Amino acid sequence: MIPRFALARPTSIAEAFGAWEAAGGDAAWYAGGTELLQVMKMGLARVGTLIDLKRLPELRGISVDGDGALVIGAGTTHREIERSELVRRELPALAALEAHVANLRVRNQGTLGGNVAFAEPHSDPATLLLACGASVALVSPRRERTLPMADFVVGPFATARDADEILVSIRIPRARAGEGRGYAKAKFRERPAVSVGVALHVEGARAVAATVAIGSMTDTPVLVPEAAAAFGGARADETGIDEAARDARPHLEALDAADDLDGSADYKRHLAGVLLRRAARDAVAEARARA
Amino acid sequence: MPERVDRALVDLAIVDLAIVDLSLVVNERPITLRVEPRETLADVLRERLGLTGLKVSCDAQVCGACTALVDGLAVSACTYLAVDADGRSVATIEGLTRDGELTPLQQAFIDEAAFQCGFCTAGMLMTAAALLDENRSPSREEVVAAIDGNLCRCTGYVPIVEAVLRAAEVGR
Amino acid sequence: MTTHARAATGPLSPSPIGESVPRRDGRDKVTGAARFTADLIVPGMARAKILRSPYAHARIRSIDASAARAHGGVIAVVSAADLPDVNLYYGHAVADHPILADGVVRYAGEAVVGVVAEDLISAEEALALVQVDYEPLTAVTSVEAALAEGAPILHEREAEQRPNRGFEEHIEREHPNVCSTSRQRWGDIEAAFEGAHLVLKGTYRYPNSYAFAMEPYTAVAQWTEGALQVWSSCQHPFMVRDDLARCFRLPLSRVRVVVPYVGGGYGSKSYTKIEPLTAALALRAGRPVKLALSIEESILTTRGDGAAVTVRSAFDAEGHLRGRQAEILLNSGAYAENSPLVGRKAANRIAGPYRIPAVDVTCHVVYTNTSPASSFRGFGAPQGNFAAESQMDEAADLLGFDALEIRRRNVVAPGEPPWPKVRGLDADLDADLCLVAEELDWWMPPSPGRGRAIGISASDAGSEPVTTSLVRVSADGSVTVTAGSTEIGQGSSTVLPQIAAGELGVPLDRVQLLQSDTTAVSFDRSTGASRTTTIMGLGIQAAAHDARRQLVAWAEEALADGDVVVEVPGGVRIGETIHDWGSVVRAWFGGSYGECVGRGYVRREGRTQQMPPFWEIGCVGVEVSVDEDTGVVTVERLVTVGDVGCAINPQLVESQDLGAAIMGLGMALGEELVYTEDGTLLGGGLVDYRVPRASDIPRVTSILAERGDGVGVYGAKGGGEGAVNPIAGAVANAVKRATGVRVVEAPLTPERVWRALQERDRTSG
Repeated sequence: MIPRFALARPTSIAEAFGAWEAAGGDAAWYAGGTELLQVMKMGLARVGTLIDLKRLPELRGISVDGDGALVIGAGTTHREIERSELVRRELPALAALEAHVANLRVRNQGTLGGNVAFAEPHSDPATLLLACGASVALVSPRRERTLPMADFVVGPFATARDADEILVSIRIPRARAGEGRGYAKAKFRERPAVSVGVALHVEGARAVAATVAIGSMTDTPVLVPEAAAAFGGARADETGIDEAARDARPHLEALDAADDLDGSADYKRHLAGVLLRRAARDAVAEARARA
Repeated sequence: MPERVDRALVDLAIVDLAIVDLSLVVNERPITLRVEPRETLADVLRERLGLTGLKVSCDAQVCGACTALVDGLAVSACTYLAVDADGRSVATIEGLTRDGELTPLQQAFIDEAAFQCGFCTAGMLMTAAALLDENRSPSREEVVAAIDGNLCRCTGYVPIVEAVLRAAEVGR
Repeated sequence: MTTHARAATGPLSPSPIGESVPRRDGRDKVTGAARFTADLIVPGMARAKILRSPYAHARIRSIDASAARAHGGVIAVVSAADLPDVNLYYGHAVADHPILADGVVRYAGEAVVGVVAEDLISAEEALALVQVDYEPLTAVTSVEAALAEGAPILHEREAEQRPNRGFEEHIEREHPNVCSTSRQRWGDIEAAFEGAHLVLKGTYRYPNSYAFAMEPYTAVAQWTEGALQVWSSCQHPFMVRDDLARCFRLPLSRVRVVVPYVGGGYGSKSYTKIEPLTAALALRAGRPVKLALSIEESILTTRGDGAAVTVRSAFDAEGHLRGRQAEILLNSGAYAENSPLVGRKAANRIAGPYRIPAVDVTCHVVYTNTSPASSFRGFGAPQGNFAAESQMDEAADLLGFDALEIRRRNVVAPGEPPWPKVRGLDADLDADLCLVAEELDWWMPPSPGRGRAIGISASDAGSEPVTTSLVRVSADGSVTVTAGSTEIGQGSSTVLPQIAAGELGVPLDRVQLLQSDTTAVSFDRSTGASRTTTIMGLGIQAAAHDARRQLVAWAEEALADGDVVVEVPGGVRIGETIHDWGSVVRAWFGGSYGECVGRGYVRREGRTQQMPPFWEIGCVGVEVSVDEDTGVVTVERLVTVGDVGCAINPQLVESQDLGAAIMGLGMALGEELVYTEDGTLLGGGLVDYRVPRASDIPRVTSILAERGDGVGVYGAKGGGEGAVNPIAGAVANAVKRATGVRVVEAPLTPERVWRALQERDRTSG
């Protein structure tokens, strides 16, 4: 059962920080609560006060900013992202990913911000966001700042967020002409076993740049630049991408992976290679459509 | 520009709540009660309101036995704070039956024998009801996708899918 | 395909036998009105939480409950030391299981202390205040470790062997950590192997599994003056009553066990679980107590036996089995529970359903420091079947036979005893095999990348044919039937009234069933082993016949006035007039009221003399495809045959078959409880234990074979477990056909299949 706690329901960021202070810092932010409440139930976390962020207008909404970047309010649910016309247009790989996070109920209740801030190692969004060069906007009483995903997720269930910092939004840079993004995962139980995110930039008939992120295998998602480099110069069609993915595979051998109920580390690395091909194919399809 | 901590607003607006006044609508009836923040929607529905149709099984948001609809959306009541339903409308299996009349969905479950032990049934029905509210004639694939997050250990799912399709034909 | 004789449809009502009438519990279950044990509220009820051992094996040095007792809302804190007036050890087969840990814990998760409080949050908070000082001991979690030289001994003292274990022989323990050993032997096994054309040997593994009844174990206990009432989500209320009476030194008649709707059982709620614990807590608290376990705690309460099976089969050149030798090692966890019987059945069932002149099977049920294993659907058959059916396909390949053909050559024929001194087979296995093959398009080659397999099993099922029933005919002709069985989802609350209605010739909607209350209804042994339709049905039939005999005599006495009384379905005909049963009752009592009470007894006599009461058949076919990149197996098609003699309610039989087959798919593809070496269960909840979901379900065809060949009413036999038995073997065989790789460990997880594919590619160069 969830242990006893006090509740605060601020309606602005200012009130939220006030509540934090009133709780003497023995507090946690929550929105959907799907992950935080679960660990509290399991006795893995004790919190004196939960501060509900769902009433904060600053955390809501999906928009495109002046640079054409997609900005998703941290309080947006997985379902809202899945169904957003804007996301489907700007980052279809994310919309597709969101349709398969956990299950229907978690998608209705859980938020992207909550997911990213909780930093569960087995997570779909974090991997794709990393591959897309996403960043998170944070605010605290002391400052506002932006951190790239790579610097934000630092360990299992650990981020660079100060305890009293609120994750306000997630920003994904605009896909340039000829850029596409793809995501593929292996899921055997409730959470993904291996996640692969790929961003590909195509010019003419060739891929010129790529980003590859692998997640869910170990503590945090990681970028694998050597694997990404294998796509440089690849022909931007299925055969070319398949060859590049095959060339990239040896660079996955050195990846950290956990032996667990989903499989051994070797098997997961193998899966990463298989999924890399699948995600890269999706990315090149979008890239060519955006050419 | 960092937000100031507004002390006056703290006292008035947010209040460090150990007991919360909750106002919500349950199965179209307005309800007010005082709850502790830690009480889940499942706790309140089952223990406080005597609506024991909703079941708690895995208590980890996996199995769907505790599915309730909040503003028409399916949630795991076992991990949904009752306070988050404040001002919202909650639907449970008890709300399906109107004046003792079974809905086509409920009748379809009986006709197709879409249950055996019945423990997953409330969750399945609410999930199916939400699907049919949004999609009047789902395909078989859409029905499977909709109930893929609801576990059933007895039936092997086939009669459940058939029941939802049949209900869609008749009209929810 | 129906060849049985149905109850005659009479002038007063159509017979519901063979009709897929809607379920009796339908309205309750689709409206939320159905009450399960966790939904019950008893006035003054307190709540309880259990403190469980973190260690797999440890001595308990001390327990300090003082802080817990002082916590607000706490009524009682109870450990074994607080129960001197209670018989601490229970167990229907071997009484080796203490209600609360008695100086030692034998598995991680064992109940050590119970806290009773006014509400759950107080109980939970108090739990954290209980101090238990443990001295860890070496733990053994695998069968190999438990049997190794110098292994710690889990049960030093000999526990009492109890008469409800399900077989007569005294349990011999051949090793300190062996709970029981069962053997099955006939013929000359040495000669069989010496003269064989082909001998195959292999070792196969079947997982430790979890039934995952969606309703966790829940019980409510209430003491009144010298009497105990317990509501429990259990399958065998009379067995539980027995253990409660023994623990609390009460006469059976002063213990009442009531079972509301049960949210799934599958064998995992057979026999006694948390009832003595709940009753002990209520006793010390002086209040009624509800104890509701979580799913994690339920996993730690009962699981299914994992097995290592080494089997050798000898064949002649024509593909006939000459001999089968097997050693089965069951990992049964810390307490015996029902594993001695599972072991006995595992030893029996690995031969079936084939004609084998020589058999030598040994099954050791081994104690380990893991959570206790007990009954689970299939009951020793799936474990052995996985091994034996895998080997049958291997033999087929090596001998050049079709996999269907080799089975047809070996299956026991109708009427033939599968082994000496047992009931002849009451099924036509060859016909069942052909039904599956036909449906699976067996003789047409599958699409590229796909493989097919057929699996078959025969289990000595039905448990013991012991039951009683009352059928009460009221003054208006309506009928009350009492039965000691339970509604666990299988549909007993629908089928049993159908049988009563058919036997008495009354309309189905005038029959009311009362089940599952040891005070209100008479004795039934158990709801399990697929026995309820058959055995409980026979009890109801006997009671109905008894009622009819009486009613005919009553009619002769009070209505006939010397005329001939002819019994018809639903009443009697005297001259040209038909009198329904109600009018006979009224006439005999001479007014407008009264009741005729018919009673039925079933025991081992007459048609239920020979054991087993019936054979339960499993016959399935699967077609699979394999993603060779990932090892993921997709079951594309599933065919099941429900060979049940007579389907009293065809829709319910098909439901059972499908549910059983899908459960089997779970063990075949993804279900597995994994323990670390120190005895911790990895995961241990639904996040990690992968049961089938809606998107896993293949295209399914359920076939009913009704040949009227069973001992039950209208030729019925049991169903509900058969389809689970041959699934894993069929899936493994189908994977072999699709890819050329043989996986000998279930579940066939993606990684296991992938590794086998890697090995194939490596060796083929």
